[in-house]
Amino acid sequence: MKVHVKNWHAIAQWRWDTGAADADDDGEGDVCGICRVPYEGCCPSCKMPGDDCPLIWGECSHVFHMHCLLQWIGTSSSKQQCPMDRRPWVTAERKVDRTNNAR
Amino acid sequence: MSVSTRRLSKELTDIKNHGTPVGINLLSSDNFEEWFLSLEVLGETVYAGEVFCLRFRFDSQYPISSPAVQFVTDDKWKAPVHPHVYTNGHICASILGNEWSPVLSVIAVCVTLQSMLASCKKKELPPGNDRYVRHAPDNPKKTRFEYDDDTV
Repeated sequence: MKVHVKNWHAIAQWRWDTGAADADDDGEGDVCGICRVPYEGCCPSCKMPGDDCPLIWGECSHVFHMHCLLQWIGTSSSKQQCPMDRRPWVTAERKVDRTNNAR
Repeated sequence: MSVSTRRLSKELTDIKNHGTPVGINLLSSDNFEEWFLSLEVLGETVYAGEVFCLRFRFDSQYPISSPAVQFVTDDKWKAPVHPHVYTNGHICASILGNEWSPVLSVIAVCVTLQSMLASCKKKELPPGNDRYVRHAPDNPKKTRFEYDDDTV
């Protein structure tokens, strides 16, 4: 018997690798603490999620939509502090953890 | 749709889905500029049996900019007598001023104010209350408070 594939639909899903343990994933996913929109969504000023509305990681390990965080850091009242822990905001260099591809 | 509208509708959905903490109730949220919530302190405190009303005013930059929060004082509502609450309802609390963070929310502010009242041992007016009330701006955000007392 020969099978001919006439057409097929590929479906893909993407997620930001926030480095957070997926164990606590309650189905709602993680949200940006500033706008409360999921990381995979986009900040309130953007229309398309993805590379145009990326995330930003702090050395304190907190993650936000980059645009949300920059809007906060741009105000004098932020005192350049992380909104979560009030430590001075230092953007972390993102290192992709290649040893853990199971995620 | 403004940033504040999106954020506030999310907070509203969250309140409708998960309810509010004990002692805190949403009285009105008809629009995204002004909300009212009732606040009472449960347990044995100096405010036993008293219910207060909080007024939140949001500008279009909320939560990047802090909400203007005060106790309602009118025929129906009175402000709690507390060393950080002026008789016109204005509140001296650092999280409403220089310690505001955009990860806070309406409910988080209510919970903080609830615990501020709960830890109060003696009903006293803030020093200089009369003088402040006489000259206070309508919007408490225009007042530059000094946060010098962390004990209550």
